[in-house]
Amino acid sequence: MKSNLNPNTDQGAIDVILGGEEELIPSSGFLAATMERVRDEAAMPKSIPFPWLRALPGIVIALAALGWCGFEMVHLGLTDAREISITQLRMAATAGRALEPAGWVAAALAVSLLSWLFARRVAGRSGLL
Amino acid sequence: MSAEEDLADVERVLVGEVQAFEGIVRRWQGPLVNMAWRYCRDRGRAEEMAQEAFLRAWRGLAGWRRESSFSTWLFALAANVFRSELQRFPTVNVPLEDAAEPAGPATQHEGLARKLSDDSVRRAVLALPMRYREPVVLYYFHEMDVAATARTMELPEGTVKARLARGRELLRKRFPHLCEENTPLVGSTLRPEKEVLQ
Repeated sequence: MKSNLNPNTDQGAIDVILGGEEELIPSSGFLAATMERVRDEAAMPKSIPFPWLRALPGIVIALAALGWCGFEMVHLGLTDAREISITQLRMAATAGRALEPAGWVAAALAVSLLSWLFARRVAGRSGLL
Repeated sequence: MSAEEDLADVERVLVGEVQAFEGIVRRWQGPLVNMAWRYCRDRGRAEEMAQEAFLRAWRGLAGWRRESSFSTWLFALAANVFRSELQRFPTVNVPLEDAAEPAGPATQHEGLARKLSDDSVRRAVLALPMRYREPVVLYYFHEMDVAATARTMELPEGTVKARLARGRELLRKRFPHLCEENTPLVGSTLRPEKEVLQ
């Protein structure tokens, strides 16, 4: 379908200039050079696909561990919260102790996330992704 | 160019005949190099970008779902390659406002002066923001076919028309003499509007 952009009015000169460009002829070695690269590519061994099946048990275990950690964190937090309302003194000691490992877990998760994002970025730039 | 030939070559490539890809490169090298040239206006780079597009086509040939013609698929793929190449390494151009307009006696060397003037308009396209530059480049590459431009850009026709209109409007403002009939290009004292393409 051709355009209805009014080529005969004030855009005419632009259309004539941009539309009337001479054809560029590829250099004589272009075809050979391209086919050489294609042949090189074809001769390369195929990349090994990620072994999802083998990795699946590990992924499931990691997810389960993560879920358990999350559950424990919430559970401990709730238990401590209940104890806080009973005795103020005990609260200060136990809550502090319970939140300390939670903080470490959160920090570890953040570091993992950051390193994963960084690795993706680097791999994306290098054309691996 | 024959769609049947493309299809036959694709089938042969997919069963492992690497040599069959040569037919595809032979038929499409001209259009792809010309398309790349319009994106960067550098012959050497245009050939490199076209070669990269062919290599991507080779890798992704199995992904062509035959819903569109081979040429549509190839042009869309090439446009993606050229776009990302130019994002990685943008073209280095003299700012438009710094480029001298052709000047001199109107009666002499008119052909050369017109060629220079035309060339400055073509180079001006590269100074357009990418969202307007690409529709302009592809619209004229596809011989003013909006539908083909939209297919290559994988955008709705309305969007392409709007961006095209804006791109042409920017060019028209940059080169106002093009809109005035019988205005001599040579010896013109018109100065570009600096803010237009910034």
